[in-house]
Amino acid sequence: MKIPPQSSHQSINNMLRFCLTESQRLFCRRLIFSIGVALLAATPLCGEEVDQPVSFVNDVIPVLTKAGCNMGACHAKAGGGQNGFQLSMLGFEPSQDYESMVKEGHGRRLFLPAPAQSLLLKKATGQTPHGGGTRFSQNSESYQVLKQWIQQGAAYSTGGVPELVSIEIQPKRGVIEKGGQQQLKVLATYSDDSIRDITRLALYESNTEAMSHVTSDGLVKVLDLPGKIAVMVRYQGRMAVFTASVPSGLSVEEMPEPTNFIDEQIFANLKEIGISPSPVCDDATFLRRVTLDIAGRLPSPEEATAFLENTDPDKRNQVIESLLQSPGYADYFASKWTPLLKNRRDAASDITANFAFHAWIRDSLLANVPYDQFVRELLAATGTVIGNPPVAWYKRVKDPKEQIEDVAQLFLGVRMQCAQCHHHPFERWSQDDYYSLTAFFTQVGRKPTATAGEDLIFHKRGAATAKNPNSGEVLKPVALGDDIGEILPDEDPRLRLADWMSSESNPYFAKALVNRYWKHFFKRALIEPEDDIRDTNPPTNPELMAALEDHFISSGFDLKELVRVITCSKTYQLSATPHKNNLVDRQNYSRFYPRRLQAEVLLDAVDNMTGTTTSFANLPPGTRAIALPDNSYNNSSAFLRVFGRPDSASVCECERVGTSSLAQSLHLINSNEIKSKLAASNGRAKLLTSDSRPAEEKITELYLVAFTRKPRADELKTALEYLNEPLLDSKGKPIEKTKAAFQNYQDLIWALMNTKEFLFNH
Amino acid sequence: MTHRFNASSISPLTETVDRRSFMKVGLGGFASLSLPGLLRLRAESPGENRKEKTAVIMVWKPGGCSHLDTYDPKPNAPAEYRGPFGTIATNVEGLRFTELLPMQAKIADKMTVLRSMRHGSPGHPAGTMRMLSGDTDIRDKSKPRLPDWMSVANYLRSQQGPRESPLPTYVSVKGPGGNYAGPAYLGDAYSPFSVTGDPNQPNFVVPNIGLSDTGEVKHLRRRASLRENLDTLERAFDQAGELEALDEFENQAMSLLTNPQAKIAFDLSQEEDRTRDRYGRNTWGQQLLMARRLVEAGVDVITTSLSGPLCGRVNNWDDHAVNHHVFDALRFRAQAYDQAVSALIEDIYERGLDQRVLVVVTGEFGRTPKINYQPSTGAGNASAPAGTKQPGRDHWPRAFSNIWAGGGIETGRFIGATDKLGEDSIERICSAGDFLATIYHHLGINAAGMTLKDFNGRPTPIIDHGTPIPELIG
Repeated sequence: MKIPPQSSHQSINNMLRFCLTESQRLFCRRLIFSIGVALLAATPLCGEEVDQPVSFVNDVIPVLTKAGCNMGACHAKAGGGQNGFQLSMLGFEPSQDYESMVKEGHGRRLFLPAPAQSLLLKKATGQTPHGGGTRFSQNSESYQVLKQWIQQGAAYSTGGVPELVSIEIQPKRGVIEKGGQQQLKVLATYSDDSIRDITRLALYESNTEAMSHVTSDGLVKVLDLPGKIAVMVRYQGRMAVFTASVPSGLSVEEMPEPTNFIDEQIFANLKEIGISPSPVCDDATFLRRVTLDIAGRLPSPEEATAFLENTDPDKRNQVIESLLQSPGYADYFASKWTPLLKNRRDAASDITANFAFHAWIRDSLLANVPYDQFVRELLAATGTVIGNPPVAWYKRVKDPKEQIEDVAQLFLGVRMQCAQCHHHPFERWSQDDYYSLTAFFTQVGRKPTATAGEDLIFHKRGAATAKNPNSGEVLKPVALGDDIGEILPDEDPRLRLADWMSSESNPYFAKALVNRYWKHFFKRALIEPEDDIRDTNPPTNPELMAALEDHFISSGFDLKELVRVITCSKTYQLSATPHKNNLVDRQNYSRFYPRRLQAEVLLDAVDNMTGTTTSFANLPPGTRAIALPDNSYNNSSAFLRVFGRPDSASVCECERVGTSSLAQSLHLINSNEIKSKLAASNGRAKLLTSDSRPAEEKITELYLVAFTRKPRADELKTALEYLNEPLLDSKGKPIEKTKAAFQNYQDLIWALMNTKEFLFNH
Repeated sequence: MTHRFNASSISPLTETVDRRSFMKVGLGGFASLSLPGLLRLRAESPGENRKEKTAVIMVWKPGGCSHLDTYDPKPNAPAEYRGPFGTIATNVEGLRFTELLPMQAKIADKMTVLRSMRHGSPGHPAGTMRMLSGDTDIRDKSKPRLPDWMSVANYLRSQQGPRESPLPTYVSVKGPGGNYAGPAYLGDAYSPFSVTGDPNQPNFVVPNIGLSDTGEVKHLRRRASLRENLDTLERAFDQAGELEALDEFENQAMSLLTNPQAKIAFDLSQEEDRTRDRYGRNTWGQQLLMARRLVEAGVDVITTSLSGPLCGRVNNWDDHAVNHHVFDALRFRAQAYDQAVSALIEDIYERGLDQRVLVVVTGEFGRTPKINYQPSTGAGNASAPAGTKQPGRDHWPRAFSNIWAGGGIETGRFIGATDKLGEDSIERICSAGDFLATIYHHLGINAAGMTLKDFNGRPTPIIDHGTPIPELIG
C-alpha cells in the first residue's frame, strides 16, 4: 500500500546526467551516495614527523576522504560539486582534486601567505559558514596536515613520493564473544616498502549492521546475535575485510547425520557458533515444500497420499528426481529467468518475440542445457528472433553499457554501474574496467527486418574497442581486469567473453549462480544481496560457497544437479519451527525460513483449491500462471499485480515483491475474482456439494490439496460442525440444503485458502 | 483540558517493547483478541483517563519549501537573498509573513511558527528520513533504515488493544512514502492504508471498503470465524514478522469491509458544499478536508503531501532553477496552499478538535537563502523554456520553518529565529529529533527512553536525540 515517490528530483537527475539510462541513474543514485562518512578523530597520525614534507596524494587526500569532503552528496557531487567546489569521488582522481583546490575558485581556496586564512580550512573548521558543517577542529591532526601542506607550498608532488601498494587489516579474522569488541589495525604498504599505520584514516563499514557496529577509529563492537560478521575497510581505493564469528556460548550436542557436503559445512558452522538445528521436517511438510520449490505448484492429493503411504526410505530422493524431470520444473525456473532477461511486452507486436524467447528459456531448462552453454547462446546470439530466440535479449538491452551492466550483475554478481561515472566506491573497478568490458559488445550489429521492431543481430567485422569518455583513451576488450588476448576482426568478441566467464578459474560465474539458487531454496543467499558479490562482502559460510561452486563446475554446470544436491540435503529438509536455541538465527540455516508463495504460484494454488482456471489472453485454456511468458499478464490480472509479480524491468530479483500488504488481504478476502472462483459452476465447491462421499472424506481432500496433509481430529470436527450448521436466510427462514451446502463448501475453501499454512511455504 | 496520556501511563512505554509478544492478534473487531501486555500494564496503573485518543495530521511539502518566501521573510536582506515578495502583517503582533499567505496571516493566532529548524541532511532521501524517522545518517540511502514516526505511532497504538474505530490507525492521503519513508524493520503491517487518486474528482472513491449489504457482512464474519479456528500454523517461526504482518492486514481488511463507518469516513460528498469550497475545490484542498474527516472518524495518524501539478512543472517543491522559476512556482501554488492550510486549521478549531488533534505543516528542509540563477531544463508551469536562466533556491537544511496548530498548544506565537539572511538558525535551534519528540509527545509517547526491537531483537531508539519543544506541547 505504498505510493510511489512523488518528487521527481530533477536536481539529482541533473547531478547524474552522465548516467544515461534510467536504470543507471537509479543505480548511481543508490550507490553514489552510499558512501561512508566518518569524522576524523583528533588523534595524531602514527609516525608522522612534523617537518616531513606533506604529500598531497598520501596525506592530504586521505584527510579529505576521512572528513567526508569527497562524498557523493557533497563536493564529489557530479556536475560541479557542492557550491561549485568539485572533488573526485573519494579522492580517486587526485590530480583533478589538486586542480580544484589550488587553481580553481580564483585561487581563493588556499592562501599561501597565511595558510590559516585559506577558505579550505576556514570552511572545514566552521569559521566561515559551511553547508557541510564543521568537519574537524583547529586542534585536530587533520587541520595540521592541511595547514602544513599549504605552508610547504601546496605542491602536488614533493618528488619521490612513494605510492600506496596495499593495505592490510590486523587481525583478518577473529572470534568475538557476544557483546564483545575488537580493535582493528590497518597498515598501508608503500612502493618504498615503508609501512604506515592508517587505522585512524581508513573508512569502516559494518556489512552486518544488525549484528555489529564499527567506530570511525576501527573499534568493532559486537551485539548479542550469534553468527558471522564482516567489516569492510577502505583506504585510497584499497579494500580489506575483517570477518569474525560470534559464538552463542552454548554447546551443540545433537546434529542430524549429514547427507552431503552441504550438511557438513552447514553443521560445522552451526557447531562453531553454538546453534543447534531444528529437527528434519515430516513427510507432508517436505513434499509440499519441495514441490513448491522445484515445480512451483502444490502437490496433488493423489501425490500426497501416495507419498505419505510410501515406506521406501529413499522416497524423498525419488520425489526430487521426478520433480526435476517434470515440466513444472522448467515452467517454474523459466518464471524466474524471464523477468531477469527482460522478456517484456511493451507493444502488442512484441508477442512473437516474447513467446519465442520464453519458450527458448523454458526448453533449455527442460532439456537441462548446461548453464555455461545457456549463457553463451544468449550472449553471443545472432540472427532473428524466429530463427534464434535469445536475440530477443538484444531487443530489450540495446546499449553496450546496459549489456555489460546486466551481464555483470546477472551472471557474475558484479555491479558495474558505479564505474561508468567514477571509480566504484566499494570495489576495485575503475572506469577503464567498465569501458573495456563494454568493448566486448561494440561489434554487435543490428539490421531492421521485415517484422517491425525485430532486428537482425550479427557480428560486425572489425576491431572491438570502446572509448573511456573521461580520459579519451580507446580501450580493447578486457574482462574485469583479465586480459583475454588478441581478438581478430573476424572473431565475435562476445564468444571470448563467454569463454572467459565459463572457464573453471573464473571467480564469479559459478559463484553468482549457486548463490542465486541457494537463495531460491533458503530465502537468504550466502552473499546478500545475491547479485552484489565482492571481496568486501564475504559469504556467511565461505567453505560452503566454495564447495557449491566446485560441485557446480565439476558437474559441468548442471542446474538440475545443483537443485538435486540442495534439496537432498538435511539442511533443506529441516523443520521451520525453531527451538529456544535457534530462535534468533536468520543467517545460519539452522531451520527452514518460511516465505510467502510468489504471485504466480499462489494464483495457481488458488485455482487448485477452487477447482478453476484463470484464462490468459492468447494462451490455451488451462495455462497456469507459472507458465506465463511475459509481464503483459500483470496488466490484466489484479491478482498478479497485487502479489508483486515483476514487470521485467530490472535485472535484480528484488523487483519481485515478497512482502504482504493490506491490498493483498483485501483481495484474498473479498475480491470479485476470488468470489467468482469459489462460486464457479464447475468449481470444487460445486462438485463437493453434489459429491455423495461422506463429508469427512471431502474435508480430507481439501486438506490434502491445501496443506498436503490430512486434517487433525480437532480440525475435522470444526469443519464438520461448520458444514452441518443450519443456515438461515435474511428473513430467518432455513436455506435449502443444497444451496446451504454449496455456500458452506465455499466458506471452507475460502477459510483454508486464507490461512498462513496455505499462503506460506514452510 | 487536554486528554492526553499522563506521565504515569507513559512510563511503561519507556521500557523496550517486544513486538513479538503482541503477535496473537486475531481478527480484531469481532473475534476475541488477546489483551496485549502493554494494555494490561496500563490498565493496572490507576487514575488513568484515556477517553480521547490524540491524533496528528502532518501536511508535507515534498522537496522543501523556501522559508524566506513564506514564514521567515527577510525584507532587509540584499536583493540576491530576499526575493520579490513583500511582507504583510498577521493578526499576531510582530509576526509577518510574505504576501503569499494572506489567509494564514488572518488566522496566525491559531498557529505557532517555528523558524529555527536545523539538521545536516542535504539530500531529499536523507532529509526526509531525518525528519520522519530521525535517521542522523547524512548519506542518501535507497530506502529507510529506521521506521518513520507514523509507523512507530501506528505500531505502538496497535499494541494498546482493539481499536474503537473501524478505520486504520494510520492513513496516508497521498502522504510521503515510496523509498523515503516507511516502517523499515517494523514491517509492512505498519504501513499506512493509502488513499490514492484525486479526491477533488467527482467520481473519486476509495476502492474495496465498506460492504453495503448486511447479509454479506454477516456471511463474511461467519467465514472468518471458521478461518480463525483453522488457522493453526505454528507462529513461532515468524522471526521476520511476516505472519504477524499478514494478521494485521487481515484484521484491517475485515474492519474496512464490514463497518459502514469506514465507507462514510472516506466520502467527501457527506460534507457541505461551503465546507468543500472553503478548503478549495482542488486536489490539495480536498486532501486536507479528507484528513479532517478521517481524524474525526478516529484515524490517529494522517499524512498528506502537497505534490502534483499544483506544485508546477516537476510536481514538488524542489525549486532549483533547473526545475522551476522559484518565485513563479511559489506564486503558482500559493493560493491553493494558503487556502487549504488556513481552512484546515480554522476547521480544527471550529469543530473543537484543537486539543486532540495536532496539525504540523513542514517539508524536509528549507531552500537556499541566496538566489541561484541557472538555465531551466524545460518549459512548463512555473518554468521558462529550456536554457533560459531563471532564479532558483537549492536545498537548505541549516535553517527552515514549519507551522504547528491545535494539539492543545499555546498558539499565536513565533519561536526561534534565523540570522539576518535566513542562513542559519540562531535562536532556539530545533533538531529533527526535537521535531519528532514533540509529535511523539502529543501522541503520548515518551520518545526519550523508548526503544523498539528491530528484526534481530536489537533495541533501537525511536529518536536519536531530542526533547519535545516546550512551546509546542500542550
